[in-house]
Amino acid sequence: MTREDIKTLILEIIQDIDDEADFDNLDPGKPLRDQLDLDSMDFLDIVMELRKRHQLQIPEADYPHLATLNSCVDYLEPLLKDA
Amino acid sequence: MKIPFLIIGGGLSGLAAAIRFARFNPEVLILEKHHRIGGLNSYFFRNNQLFETGLHAITNYAAAKDRRAPLNRLLRQLKLSRDQFQFHQQIQSEIIFKGCASLSFSNDFAMIEEEIARKFPHCQDGFHRLVAFLHSFDPFTIAPFRSARQFLNRYIPDRLLVDMLLCPLMFYGSSIEEDMDLGQFAIMFRAIFLEGLFRPGGTVKDFLDVLLTHYRALGGSLRTGAEVSTILHTGGRIDGVVLATGETILCDCLLSTIGIEETLSLLGRPPLPQNSPRLGFVETIFQLQPALCPQLPEDRTIIFFNNSATFHYKKPDTAVDFTSGVICLPQNFAGLPPSTRQEIRSTHLASYDAWKELARDRHEYLAEKGKTADHSREVLSAITGDFSRAIVYHDTFTPLTIERYTAKKEGAIYGHPQKIKDGVLGCDNLFLAGTDQGFLGIIGSMLSGVSMVNQHMLARF
Repeated sequence: MTREDIKTLILEIIQDIDDEADFDNLDPGKPLRDQLDLDSMDFLDIVMELRKRHQLQIPEADYPHLATLNSCVDYLEPLLKDA
Repeated sequence: MKIPFLIIGGGLSGLAAAIRFARFNPEVLILEKHHRIGGLNSYFFRNNQLFETGLHAITNYAAAKDRRAPLNRLLRQLKLSRDQFQFHQQIQSEIIFKGCASLSFSNDFAMIEEEIARKFPHCQDGFHRLVAFLHSFDPFTIAPFRSARQFLNRYIPDRLLVDMLLCPLMFYGSSIEEDMDLGQFAIMFRAIFLEGLFRPGGTVKDFLDVLLTHYRALGGSLRTGAEVSTILHTGGRIDGVVLATGETILCDCLLSTIGIEETLSLLGRPPLPQNSPRLGFVETIFQLQPALCPQLPEDRTIIFFNNSATFHYKKPDTAVDFTSGVICLPQNFAGLPPSTRQEIRSTHLASYDAWKELARDRHEYLAEKGKTADHSREVLSAITGDFSRAIVYHDTFTPLTIERYTAKKEGAIYGHPQKIKDGVLGCDNLFLAGTDQGFLGIIGSMLSGVSMVNQHMLARF
C-alpha cells in the first residue's frame, strides 16, 4: 500500500465509525481525537478494523502511533507494504 | 462443541457483549435459560396482546449530535443506527413527597434547577456545587463504597431535598438499602437528571428484535431454553459449561451476566458474605379503556412518590411497602402514535421472604396478589385520579414471579448488594457483566457488556 492508500484506508474506517465525520478541514499533523471528536472506544474500533481487514495485530503500547493521520501512515506503512 | 466466546444470559448486557464481539468474530454463542431474550426487559402475551415487563423508560437520553454521550457511544460500538429505532422522549416526570414538596423534571436539566431554586432556595447554591462536582467526577474509577447520602449532606442542607433526589435514583437502580454508592449515584444522577428518560417506538419486543436481527446478521448464535447447570473449570481456567440437558459446551472465554452469586454457585464456590438484604419489588400493570378514564395526567411520564413522613428505601417487614413507589404512564412519551390502549404501571418495594412464606399456600398467595393490586390502585388513584372503572385487565408480579422469569435471585432486579465493578472473578477467562457489575438500566448494562468485551475479549482472538 502506498502512503495515499493508507490515508484513504484510515479515513474510510473512521467514516465507517461516524458517517458524519467531516474531513474537509482535517489537519493530518494534528490529533484525530480532537478534530473528529473520537474517544478511546472509537480508537479501539480503528484497531479492530485494521485487524479484521489486514490481519494486523497492533499492541496496546503502539496505540499512540495512531494519534494523527500522518503518524498512522508512518506507523502502518512498513506493516502494510505488501498489502 | 467448542465455541471461542460463550455468554450466559440473553439479557441486554449479554446481547450487547455478543453483538460487540460478533462485529469482529462471529464465533460467539449466547445461552439463555428462558425461552425468550431480554432478561429484565422482556414481554409476555395475554389476551392476544403484548405486555412489556421491566421497562418503564430508558435513561441516558442524548441528542444525536452529542457524540460522547453513553447512548451514542453504545450505538457506535454496536454499529447500530439511531434510524433503526424511534426515540420518544419523556414529556415530564415528577417526584412527589406527599404533604412536603414536589419536583418536576424533564430532559431539560434547567427544569429541575428552576424547581429547586423556587422550592428549596436555601439549597440552590449547594445543588449547583453538587452538579459542578459531578461534572468533574469520574464514577468509573474503581473505589471502595462511599455513602452518597453522607456526601449529599455536605452539599444540601435539607434532608427532604436529599431524599427527593435519591428517591428516583434508588428506585431505578439501587441494590442497597437507604443509600447508594457515590459512583453509582453519580452515574444514575447523570442518567436520569442530566440526560433524561425516553423509550423506543413500538414495543420492547421490537427493540429486542432489532438487536437480535443485527446479531444474527453478524453471524452470532443464540440458544434459548438453554439452562447452564455447571461451569467446568480446572485450576484458574474455565473449560466450558454443562447444560441442564447434560450437554457440554466448551469455550475459550466465558462472560456471565446472571449475577455474582448465581455464577459462583455454577462454579461450585461459596457465596459472598452479604451484610444487607437483596431488594425485591412488586409490579402491577393496569390496562385501561382510555374512553373511561379521561382524567389521567397526560403531562407526566414517570412519578416517583413517597407518602410517609420519612422516606425509606429498604426491604419491608410486610409483603409490600405501599408508602412509596413509582408510577409509569407509558403512553406519555412525546410523539407516540395514538393508541386504543392505555396503561398505568406501579412498582413498590417488597419482601421476598414474605411472598415466599405466602406461596406455601397457593390460595393465600393469590389472594395477597389480588390485595396488592387493589392496594396499589388505591395509592396510585390518590395521585393520578381514580382509574378503577377503566381497568380491563391487570396483572401483578411478585418477587417470586420476577425470580421465576428473570432468574434474578429473590426477584432482586438490581442484584446483589455488593458489586464487582471490574467484572473480574479470579479466573483468567471468566468475566462478569450486567447487573452485578454495577451498571444498571438498559444503557448502563449494555455498555457494561461492551466494555467487558473491549477490555478482556477482543485482544484474545
